[in-house]
Amino acid sequence: MDLLWQTAVNATYAASYMALIAVGLVMIFGVMGVINFAHGELYMVGAYCVVFLYAQENFPFLLAVAAGLVFVGMIGLVMERTMFRPLRDNPLAGLIASIGFLLILQTLAVFGFGRRMGHVPPSTQGKLEILGAVLTYQRLFVIVAAVLLLAALWTFLRRSKFGRALRACAQDAEAASLQGISMNQTARIAMFIGAALAGVAGALTAPLVSPTPYIGHSIIVTAFIIIIVGGVGSLEGAVIAAVLYAFVHTFVTTFFDGVIANIVGLALMLAVLVVRPTGLFGAKERA
Amino acid sequence: MSRKSLHRKISRRKFLGTSAAAGAALAATGTGLPRVSFADSHTIKIGFLAPLTGPVAAWGKPGLDGCLIWADWVNAKGGVSIGGQSYNIEFVGYDNEYDVAKARTGATKLIKEDGVKFIMMLGGDTWAGAQPVAEREGMLFSTLLPSDLSPDSTTLVAPCEVHPIYNVTGVEWLAENKPELKTAAMCAQDDALGKPSVATYLAAFEAAGIEMVDAPLFFDPATTDFAPVMTRLMAGNPDILCLDTCYADYVHPLCEQAFQQGYQGQIISCTADFYQNIIEKTSEEFMEGFIFQFPDFDDPALNSEGINFVNPNEFYAEYANRYGASAWGAVSWEYASIMDLWADAATRAGSAEPAAVLEAMKADGTGKHAFGTADWWGTELFGIDNALVGNWPVVVIEGGKARIKAFKSIPAWWDQHKDLMIKHMTDLGQMWNQQG
Repeated sequence: MDLLWQTAVNATYAASYMALIAVGLVMIFGVMGVINFAHGELYMVGAYCVVFLYAQENFPFLLAVAAGLVFVGMIGLVMERTMFRPLRDNPLAGLIASIGFLLILQTLAVFGFGRRMGHVPPSTQGKLEILGAVLTYQRLFVIVAAVLLLAALWTFLRRSKFGRALRACAQDAEAASLQGISMNQTARIAMFIGAALAGVAGALTAPLVSPTPYIGHSIIVTAFIIIIVGGVGSLEGAVIAAVLYAFVHTFVTTFFDGVIANIVGLALMLAVLVVRPTGLFGAKERA
Repeated sequence: MSRKSLHRKISRRKFLGTSAAAGAALAATGTGLPRVSFADSHTIKIGFLAPLTGPVAAWGKPGLDGCLIWADWVNAKGGVSIGGQSYNIEFVGYDNEYDVAKARTGATKLIKEDGVKFIMMLGGDTWAGAQPVAEREGMLFSTLLPSDLSPDSTTLVAPCEVHPIYNVTGVEWLAENKPELKTAAMCAQDDALGKPSVATYLAAFEAAGIEMVDAPLFFDPATTDFAPVMTRLMAGNPDILCLDTCYADYVHPLCEQAFQQGYQGQIISCTADFYQNIIEKTSEEFMEGFIFQFPDFDDPALNSEGINFVNPNEFYAEYANRYGASAWGAVSWEYASIMDLWADAATRAGSAEPAAVLEAMKADGTGKHAFGTADWWGTELFGIDNALVGNWPVVVIEGGKARIKAFKSIPAWWDQHKDLMIKHMTDLGQMWNQQG
């Protein structure tokens, strides 16, 4: 029973950071129509913010995480202004530009921090015991932050003027423009939020992984599986698919094998595509 | 935001198609950036074809850094004497990023464009890329992983590290000194480094009478969250956690997870690169007694008689001075020690040509391995006697510092337990005649 609970706790943590990353990716795609392949590198930059501010410069951990959120959000604004806005009418060019940008971010990380993994001491070694399962505070931070941030995002999108503008642009950009909604402004907001979510995920998990300039590769693959399963463009789908994928992957790893878990994860994606090609929560394509 | 709303400008099919295309493009990109080097006629170039970036860089880059110290020291003394002429040594690095295709490109470039006389590799998955080039060109290559050896590769030698065979010495020492520990659990990344090492540890545990509580757990090399892996390992309450030959990127979070999930038993691992960082993430008490196979070279035991590595303590001090003490890793000294063997063989051969050096290297069936005189060995395991095998150190962390506890003989273990090793290597498809 302890093993089951421990696995469930492990899966909850995994679902939390995966949801943050996937929702950020969906935000950018949904509003701007761009597949941001540099999303994994935004996660990496968030992690390195903590490497620099917390591990090297001894700033408080939560301050470093907040700085990571804002800094990566700002990078998102730069990406929107310099890459995605000029290429707005050509999503494929935007995708290619994002691949170029990820290589730039990787190279800058190598120049700034070297090729070796960054060392981040834990901000706390405290832990909880829940029904025999161990949950460290470090992991609890990630879970709590994910719940709070995703709840805040949901509220923002539902209740605020800017949130409604985002949804309107995502539904029909032309009609939204005719109503006086600025496409540039909504794109900026979407890009900032999407990038910041990836950045905060990287910053929060930095003490729990081994940050390297190349860590974004494995992150982006998982994120794409999740948003394909959830339905490309669906925020709710991204969250639910993150939970589903994390639980399946974690349980299969624990009870079978990590390699088999990857195969099962991909099989899950293929099964969803076969049975429901739009993903679990995706909308049908318009004619 | 409506579930139907985020869906415009690009169709799902286009999304999937372009994602796949972009993924392929991304996989094809990368920067195997060769170093341009210039040398005069009294300089011999040596190729260094190893991962200098990426997750396996910890077993490449520190080795090149060590080689640069070796070259500076040798060149300051006038170089290597070959056929009555002194030659300076210059290293030409090529970052293969632990990628097969880049290894092939790098091998070709180093031979055709740079004119190197010898190429050192980490090996493993990347040897498959360099192998056709080695066979075609007759170039002398070295690997740190003798599991790359086969009768088809007559110009490949493993003159320093006999991974994973030396792992038996750690288990043997553990069984002798902590006989009360009777059960073990093990995990490894699913690749050419992990699998033969798993077979070796399985053989060593069986030889020592230590029972596995569960089958070895393989994980994908792209894994970043190790909590599930550690949960599974600890589920059987093993006396010993074996981390196999996991990369540093995995050993650190695995140890951290073991600490966080409350493990209190023995840990054994092939490596513990940058172990000071692991101690910082866990505690000195938790890491006390951690067994691995790679000493810090400031260890006094390396000054004992029979050690062939030149000035190990000074080498370590210079390394720490140049790159920082925390940069020292498992391979920091290994490629340099291979260069000691190469220089000795080239001097005796009176030539730097690959065939002549190889012949001189293996002339009397023995060689001056870093940890003592060793034999060229391996026919039963690798199909060819191209591995230099002798003693290997067992290292234990005590009071936050790695210390050599013993030098143990690999051939002596082999003589007693070779059937076990061959059985487990065969079961995992790791014998030389099982590899495609």
